Amino acid sequence: MVNEREHPARRRLASYLRLLGAFGRFSLNRELAFRGNFLMKVLLEVVWLGILLLFFHTIFRNTSRIEGWNEYQYLFFLGCYYALEGLIETLFLENCIEFGELVRTGNLDFFLLKPIDEQFLLSFRHIDWSTAPKVFIGGALMGVSLWELGEPIGLLKAFCFVVTLGSGIAMAYSFLLILASTAIWMVRNQSLMELWWLFSSLMRYPRDIYEEPWAVLIQKVFTFLLPALLVVSVPAEAMVRVLEPGIIVWTILAGMMMLVISRWVFRKSIRFYRSASS
Amino acid sequence: MEPVIEVSHLCRTYQVAQKKAGLLASIRGLWKAETRTVEAVRDVSFRIEPGEMVAFLGPNGAGKTTTLKMLAGLVYPTSGTARVLGFQPWERHDAFRRQFSLVMGQKNQLWWDLPAADSFELHREIYSLERARFDRTLAELVEMFGVDKLTRQPVRELSLGERMKMELIASLLHEPKVLLLDEPTIGLDVVAQSTIQRCLREYNQRKGATIILTSHYMRDVEALCSRVLMIVSGRLQYDGQLGGLLDRFGRIKLVRLQFEELVPEGLDRFGECKIIGPVAELRLEKNRVAQALSAVVDLPGLVDLSVQDPPLEDVVAMAFGSGAEKP
Amino acid sequence: MSAGPLPVSAGPGLMGSLKKYLRIFRVSLVERLAYRADFLLGTVLRFLPMVTSVLLWSAVYRGSGRDTIEGYTCREVIAYLLLVHVSRMFSSMPGLAAGIARDIRDGTVKRYLVQPLDLQAHLLAYRAAHKFAYILTSALPYAGLFFFMSSYFDWPAEPWIWAAWLTSLLLGFLMGFLMEFALGLLGFWFLEISSFLYLINTVSFFLSGHLMPLDLFGERMAMVLKELPFQYLAYFPASVILGRETPETVIKGLLVELGWCLAFFIAGRVALRMGLKRFSAFGG
Repeated sequence: MVNEREHPARRRLASYLRLLGAFGRFSLNRELAFRGNFLMKVLLEVVWLGILLLFFHTIFRNTSRIEGWNEYQYLFFLGCYYALEGLIETLFLENCIEFGELVRTGNLDFFLLKPIDEQFLLSFRHIDWSTAPKVFIGGALMGVSLWELGEPIGLLKAFCFVVTLGSGIAMAYSFLLILASTAIWMVRNQSLMELWWLFSSLMRYPRDIYEEPWAVLIQKVFTFLLPALLVVSVPAEAMVRVLEPGIIVWTILAGMMMLVISRWVFRKSIRFYRSASS
Repeated sequence: MEPVIEVSHLCRTYQVAQKKAGLLASIRGLWKAETRTVEAVRDVSFRIEPGEMVAFLGPNGAGKTTTLKMLAGLVYPTSGTARVLGFQPWERHDAFRRQFSLVMGQKNQLWWDLPAADSFELHREIYSLERARFDRTLAELVEMFGVDKLTRQPVRELSLGERMKMELIASLLHEPKVLLLDEPTIGLDVVAQSTIQRCLREYNQRKGATIILTSHYMRDVEALCSRVLMIVSGRLQYDGQLGGLLDRFGRIKLVRLQFEELVPEGLDRFGECKIIGPVAELRLEKNRVAQALSAVVDLPGLVDLSVQDPPLEDVVAMAFGSGAEKP
Repeated sequence: MSAGPLPVSAGPGLMGSLKKYLRIFRVSLVERLAYRADFLLGTVLRFLPMVTSVLLWSAVYRGSGRDTIEGYTCREVIAYLLLVHVSRMFSSMPGLAAGIARDIRDGTVKRYLVQPLDLQAHLLAYRAAHKFAYILTSALPYAGLFFFMSSYFDWPAEPWIWAAWLTSLLLGFLMGFLMEFALGLLGFWFLEISSFLYLINTVSFFLSGHLMPLDLFGERMAMVLKELPFQYLAYFPASVILGRETPETVIKGLLVELGWCLAFFIAGRVALRMGLKRFSAFGG
């Protein structure tokens, strides 16, 4: 019997990266084939950014702090949110939405035949370049606010930021993956977009605003059960506010756990698909 | 020689799992699924040697596609064993998946808005194919299928036949040892069908690949396969040469006669006769067709005449007496 | 969600239409309540952003150290955000424009050339019935929410305000329909308008005051925004019931809104005529 590990792990990683590059290339080709549509989508993102910034500007015209976040700290938060949302939309959102269609038409079969991990294939195959600028704009906003805040950024801070941001991305991705997997065994009345909108509305504001006594339950649920509140808030806090080791450790843990859980749910769903199909 | 495919007492029974609507019902449904048992494949066993071209024949819903999917590892069997290229298909090892292909008629895996050439390139990345060898294989296949000018056109602009050819090319780029085809020529015009048949034959001869196809077109089977596995109601009813199948159940032809007004009496002296309005359908053995034709061609009021193969379902129905199962 | 009319046959005249609406209503209601857990989940999901808004604005006002911003107290802003939901309940037309564009693209619109059936009237009837059912089934959870948050509301006593509110909501429905209808007709001239529609929807979301009261943008900006028709989809009805409008401004607002409706109606009819002509010329 042929040994499955034909290539050493390093070469496998390289081939997955190359494949990711190929997905990026061909997705770009596809987007540019519909230039008008692509430009319209980019315009949409610009408008959305305008709305966010206008909202930000209006609020800070009238107030100097939101739950302890001053203007440029909040701007950093905003930039972090925009960049992270952009990253998720670019890499994963379209694929998760299309997953339901693949299940319905039975075209999911094709992805189970390839000598590549299905989760990788299904998560990354289409890259939505029209939302990619969000990542850079978000990054720019973060840069501007760091400049204005003028504080030195130590190595520890930067490290915590990067790691918790990664965890946040992992959590958002895992949420989407679990949602998408449900298309196999469940009739959902809410579209994936609606549920994603909900998740992103939770990560859109600093989690400090949930400090009100009547909101404690909601805060607990979305910090420990479905950690949407941690996704943007913790990395932003790590960078421009106080480093709280407890919540950082929990964020990292939660990110890893959600990746494991979502992979488990995904594989279980695929198994269900295969045992239920004919 | 080791058989490339070895299947033993393969069974596939599944519960018709209705997707549950409503949140609570769905979650409950994960543990306690609704049960309606369907026996799709019952106790099927066969061996296939490398380089053979085999057809799974059978009426719709007979279990051909399910068996094929089990060989591809897409579906778990309920019991029994199968080995393809030395692997258990449903364990889905990467090494296994590199060596075979599954093509499903009317299902498209190429990127819709991009030229086929781009999909091929992506395919190369997915299978990690070496550049020089890939280019050579691609050139060969493109020439064989005769689609040279079409690879740069977006797939959505191609006709159904051209799209199918692209699908087949994509499935052969990694030089699989086993090619599984599920209704590959369904919905295609006759010219496209015969091109694809020719290419598959050529590929089989050149590369020695084992080809299994399911079909309910007699034409595909006659053109390509010497060996036929007939699956009816999940059971393997016949495993042998095509000639044997046709001999066993007689070569029947349908002669369709259309008259101006009324069908004249006495047509049933030629064979089984079915009359619908001004049309009469005669069922006779092939060797009696010429005789019957020379007799009917002078009948008064005859407007149109054609000689056809009976549909496969009829052959199967005739073969097994209205689909009665054998114990 | 499709914009296509239900294949419901009805008897002639008012009785027939009424029966048809009642049937649609009953079916929609059953459909809704059948998925109780889903319904519950859907309700929770719909109101969670509301919770977030309350928390956010409380934090904003706390940080400002002031009681009012541009004439709105914190309570008023939160009341506004909830009332805007009610406005949107009437004026939102999900999938209307996209559905029309799709029908044009796949040729279904052909039948309006052949049959003595008017696309606009047909869709209006369908949407009216659908809205009616939707509002009735949503009334209970919304009433619950209003009760739960009653401390944020100072309901006006004057009956004319309530009458004006109801009028503005109904006109908002009409306005929303006519705007989306006209937009959808662009499908006669452009093949792929879904991204454009999405863009317009995002802009409308902002300009209608769905995000926050238009006044909060500052006096000058608010004045400009109130000239646009979008404000009638969300802001105007909410402002009326909050008691922030005088009888004069209300009358003026309603009349201007009527004017906009007329404008969109005419634009829609003209576009429909031209579009169908173009459609039949190209053979679909």
